[in-house]
Amino acid sequence: MLTWLGCLASIALILAGASALLAGNTFSQPLWALLGLVATLTVKLDALSAVFIFITGLVLFPASIFAGGSNVQSRAFTVFMFGLYASIALIFLAGDVVLFLLAWEVMSILCWLLIVCGREKENGYSGSGYLLLAMGEAGTLAAALGFLLLAVAAGSLDFSAIKSAGANLGAGVQWAVFLLSFFGFGVKAGLVPVNFWLPRAYVAAPRAFVPVLAGATLNLGLYGILRVNADLMPATHAAPGLVALVVGTLSALVGILYATTDNDLKIMLAHSSIENVGIIVAGFGAGMVFVATSHPALAAIAFVAALYHLINHSLYKTLLFFGVGVVETQTGTRDMDRLGGLSKWMPLTALGFFVGTLAISGLPPFNGFVSEWLTLQTVLRSAELSSVGAKLVFAICGAGLALTAALAVTCFVKVYAMSFLGMRRLNEDQKVSEAKSGALAPIAILAVLCLAFGVLPTYVIPALDAATNPLVGASAAENLVPPFFASNPAHDTLPPAFVEDFHNLGAQVGQSVLPGRGLVVLHRGGEANPVVFAMSTSYSFVALIGLLLLTYIVLRLWLTRDRKLTRRLRWDGGVRNLLPEMTYTATGFSNPVRVIFDAVFRPTTVEDTRETVAEHFRTAIIREKERVHLVDKLVFHPVRIGVMWFAGRLARMHHGRFNAYAAYALLTLLVMLVVFLLFQTS
Amino acid sequence: MNRTELKTEIDQRWPGQVQCLSESDSLCEMICTHIALPELCGRLFLEWNFSFAGLIVEEGASEWHLRYAFYGERNAGWVHVLVTAPLAERTFPSIVKFVHAADWHEREAEDLFGLNFEGHPRLGDFILHDDAWQENVEPMRRHFDPKEAMRHRKPDEDWRPHRIVQEPGAFVMPVGPKYSGVTESVHFLLETVGEDVIRSTSRLFYKWRAIEKLAEGKPADEVLLLAERFAATTAFAHGLAFCQAVETVCGANLPPRAKTLRILLAELERLRQHAGAIQEICESTALAVANAHAGICEEELLRISCELTGHRYLFGVLALGGLLCDLPNDACSKALEKSQKVLVQLNVLEKHLRVSSSFLDRLEEVGVVQQRTAWAYGLLGPIARASGIVRDLRRAQPYLGYGNFQFDVPGEQEGDGYARLRILFAEARQSVRIMEQAVAALQGGSVFEPLQLRAGAALGWVEAPRGGAFHWVRLDENGKVARYRIIAPSFANWHGFHLSVEKFAFQDFPIMLSTFDLSVAENDR
Amino acid sequence: MSQWVINGIRAGIKTTAYPAKPETVAGVSPGLPVGSDYPANEIDSLISHCPTRVFSDSDGQIIVDRRRCIHCYRCVRGVERPVNWEQTYEWGAVRDGQHEFGQPFERSIHICVVDAGDCGACLNEVKQLNNPYYNMHRLGFFITPTPRHADVLLVVGPVTDHMKIALKKVYDAMPTPKRVIAVGACALTGGVFAESFVCAKGVGDVLPVDVEVPGNPAPPLAILHGLLVATGRKTPATWVGNNTMKA
Repeated sequence: MLTWLGCLASIALILAGASALLAGNTFSQPLWALLGLVATLTVKLDALSAVFIFITGLVLFPASIFAGGSNVQSRAFTVFMFGLYASIALIFLAGDVVLFLLAWEVMSILCWLLIVCGREKENGYSGSGYLLLAMGEAGTLAAALGFLLLAVAAGSLDFSAIKSAGANLGAGVQWAVFLLSFFGFGVKAGLVPVNFWLPRAYVAAPRAFVPVLAGATLNLGLYGILRVNADLMPATHAAPGLVALVVGTLSALVGILYATTDNDLKIMLAHSSIENVGIIVAGFGAGMVFVATSHPALAAIAFVAALYHLINHSLYKTLLFFGVGVVETQTGTRDMDRLGGLSKWMPLTALGFFVGTLAISGLPPFNGFVSEWLTLQTVLRSAELSSVGAKLVFAICGAGLALTAALAVTCFVKVYAMSFLGMRRLNEDQKVSEAKSGALAPIAILAVLCLAFGVLPTYVIPALDAATNPLVGASAAENLVPPFFASNPAHDTLPPAFVEDFHNLGAQVGQSVLPGRGLVVLHRGGEANPVVFAMSTSYSFVALIGLLLLTYIVLRLWLTRDRKLTRRLRWDGGVRNLLPEMTYTATGFSNPVRVIFDAVFRPTTVEDTRETVAEHFRTAIIREKERVHLVDKLVFHPVRIGVMWFAGRLARMHHGRFNAYAAYALLTLLVMLVVFLLFQTS
Repeated sequence: MNRTELKTEIDQRWPGQVQCLSESDSLCEMICTHIALPELCGRLFLEWNFSFAGLIVEEGASEWHLRYAFYGERNAGWVHVLVTAPLAERTFPSIVKFVHAADWHEREAEDLFGLNFEGHPRLGDFILHDDAWQENVEPMRRHFDPKEAMRHRKPDEDWRPHRIVQEPGAFVMPVGPKYSGVTESVHFLLETVGEDVIRSTSRLFYKWRAIEKLAEGKPADEVLLLAERFAATTAFAHGLAFCQAVETVCGANLPPRAKTLRILLAELERLRQHAGAIQEICESTALAVANAHAGICEEELLRISCELTGHRYLFGVLALGGLLCDLPNDACSKALEKSQKVLVQLNVLEKHLRVSSSFLDRLEEVGVVQQRTAWAYGLLGPIARASGIVRDLRRAQPYLGYGNFQFDVPGEQEGDGYARLRILFAEARQSVRIMEQAVAALQGGSVFEPLQLRAGAALGWVEAPRGGAFHWVRLDENGKVARYRIIAPSFANWHGFHLSVEKFAFQDFPIMLSTFDLSVAENDR
Repeated sequence: MSQWVINGIRAGIKTTAYPAKPETVAGVSPGLPVGSDYPANEIDSLISHCPTRVFSDSDGQIIVDRRRCIHCYRCVRGVERPVNWEQTYEWGAVRDGQHEFGQPFERSIHICVVDAGDCGACLNEVKQLNNPYYNMHRLGFFITPTPRHADVLLVVGPVTDHMKIALKKVYDAMPTPKRVIAVGACALTGGVFAESFVCAKGVGDVLPVDVEVPGNPAPPLAILHGLLVATGRKTPATWVGNNTMKA
């Protein structure tokens, strides 16, 4: 039931988003007015919301299948999931502040309920759900404050009214709104100072829900940031954008460092989410800087890159979480040090997971490559800025992002190799088999989508352009995609006759069969431009490699048809018996990173004993180190201690004496009377 | 302390438990009860500054004879502590609590003879690998039948390496037995969490050829062939130790020319082996130019050896009672001249290496072995001298007339790889110094005096290039070898090798291995 | 840095001209005995004098099985009638005349060296092949640490029991086509360790051997000759007969 209804709902979302983006079918519909408030609940679908709705639908489709096929289901779970789908859709469709905040609150509570409801017993820390709720509320509060500031300045709670007023805000208000919304929505998105709830919540969340958590709800925070700082209140000076850029880069670095050195599959993916969100937010920051310094074309490219990365992240992160869910179901453990060699028993899952790994590492031909490439290119274009300070910040952040990309490759090589390749480290009696089709189908869907979004960026970018063009006033597609390959005629900037002429002059291979005008286009040139040149679509090299591979396989099979293939054992140095404990563990593989970045991790030694017999016979060396997350140490623990202290102080009021409570009520009444009197007179 | 002081001390501490069996100028044999054995050995080793040469186990007609051989400086001489027990009884007290150097000797006795040493924390899986041999094989016993053992032996699937490190994510990295380019076969198990070696265990005896068993029942001059060829990079030193043992048994009187020529050849071999060790160190640090220069020196010395004696590794020159052939004086002078030229090249190489900071970075303060630990493990040779234990058999227990030669025994204190390298260069210089004196002092006369073989047993010792080598030979009435025990310097040095690599990274491992100048063939026999 | 360069130039070119020209400098080879005439009444004592049965009798002539010689020199030193001794080094030989190894082995080859219980001398001589005197790289011979990249397996030492599995694993891990070279008396016949209960009588007991290089140890030039035989650049020595070796 969850599967069928969920899939239907997702398809509806996909269609809605696609039609808004590609066909331009946006709408704005006021629903009903709220008495007493200067607000009308409005439902609005514009191009920006359409992007998010589209990707949410795309992710929820396989997620519904996966959740439906998993065992962590109860009626309550199903109801909560549908509620979540509805609230997410409403957030994106909200056209005014009240609807937005209402839907946001519902979504927060439903997230918490889903975690608590489906929580597996062994997933430690029962407070993770409460932490999610508490941080979520804090973030909502900050975001709401930001919205209210905007509303006060605009005199209305409607987004369109706020937008028209957004251009004339004072610097102080702009900073306040930026900080409140950035860090407020940043809680949900997972930015560095406020994301310490994220790894804990992901671990506690049930297998069926975590993909949705990572693929869909993370985007809500990013939507909030983008909506407020790019749409409702476009940047007028560069500083907020630089702050966003720096915070994004920091999140990316911290996220990937902890991801590389962690051995639990779920925690590692949670940290990797933080890293990807950091990259997206860095893209947003760059875009805001370019908007403020009047480089609209560059800003367009930056926003397109960020949105593309958002889409890609949703796709491959969900795929990876599916894989982790399957592994956990089949083997009962998520510890990479205890897994190994699984590709022998679950080859299809391994293949899907491998696609996800390649995608998240940013390797062509998958989608991660496109968005990381675009983001790095954007940061490199900072050379066109005029301020030296801004250029310096961009340069440092660019280096940080490059380091992140390199560490990401390390991290995911470790993940795939330690879990799926190598020797099996599980117990002999643990039976491991391939995932059921209920889990394989979603994996396959997302894997294909990862490939598709990687080889067809010339289709995706013009669609995203429809969303970013209104934000920055310039078209990215013009600069990134040769108009020749943009298939959407609504976005063609060249006169149709010219394009027609262009086509008919050259040879196109496979035009009738392949999308986007075939593989290669030759242009003979005209009188003004008598040059012959060739352009190829972005997927042509995939086709070329495919052809080459096919030729090689055929030739090889033909030439070696009478040779025998023998399989020999791996070379192991000649030992009598290679044991699993003689192979590299995940800890060992990532140890160099741990050692190099020791100043960041600062592990404390819990135990370091050496037991000796007769002074020289070493019988045991016991070592254990403990590591506290940097953000925990700097933010979470101080905040927690502070809050506990403050609550302790406040608790003094709760002494239970009824007379005192009555006195409090009286006192408050008196104060209110005085205040009213004062305000009446003024 | 000298002999008399030693005897009074022993009588005081263990009255009635220790009896002096025989005494000569150089050797004092005393038999001791089981109870007093550990403490007596401990005092000899730790308090009275005796070095532990080794444990020699002999299966007598009705009794076990265990002989613990200790040696001190010149005035203290040799002390052999004997312990006996009826053949049916197999348990002996272990002395490893006091003499850690006896660790591997006791393990070997347990594997080869089936003896049990009470108090030894870890017996087993030494020579007879646990995953390849069944229990209770005892190959060195008289009743051992090789065909019987072969029929039942099969590899054990359940064998696991002995692990000491308990840390999340720790694993055991196997190196070998076939590893690197051109190396001897030895298996290392490195316990690590990824970057550093926390604990290193060497699994040796992949090259065990059972020389000691092979020698039993053979005529002495055939066993000389075995002695030369079991560890041929120091063939002359081992052959010399065997000859000295047999010559002591037979009470031989070597012609003086033979003695001087033996010294000349022994020092030539030491010079060549040290050049080879220097070449290994330069190769391990990947300093290709130095590797080439040291390789030139080593090849030159091999050619000098071949020109002088006919064989590059000095095979076929030694005989029981002297030398198999005479080496003419002018050939010796020519060899000396060429060796001096090689020494000049070595000195130039040392001068360049001392200022090559990238090279020194890999060696300085890496692989440190403390003096106290080196003594406890009984390390020998240049590596012990680099850790401050300056004891050389040519000085402490002179043989062949080394007492009449002038030479220094270099020593260093740091105990790191660089100190070991410096010792190698310094000893090379001293070797040429001795060679000069030997050529100058060449006497006339014959080089061979045939031996009258008779029954008996003796220990022959030699300061081989890698450290002290001790060969115990027992001859029967027909002049055949009844028991041959080889204690090679690499046996002690392999024991202590793990000390130098622990806490250092993987990249330093091959470099430390090369600075130790270890021979697997010597250890494995 | 410059002192290394100056020193290197001063050291000059040390590399031997072999195989283009024969190497005549002293000290490159211990030599081997040569079959010849011998007085009939002394043949038996000569045969029994050799500890590894190198000599055998054939109609009053001595035949030398060079694979067995361990260089004890007891047939030339301390005897009244020494045998003829030859200071050669081109000893690489092939069994049954099968020395057409085929085109894959004609040019450069990668060699995997396995120590199967060697005393250290043969291994040391193999190491000398990389020093400036012999420099086998100029002939296209390279040593590789992994059998997966190796064309030729070079084995030294009589194969001890503990190393049997490892040696077989190395051989199995090498891709075809592959060849085996056994170097040294121990690898050919077991040498002085042939009677040990934990040693095989040479590599031939465990693997199929293609080229054999006698000597104890085989000097570097002999090993080079063996490698050149394996690559078809030198004709192999003949096995039996009392004539001077046909190189």
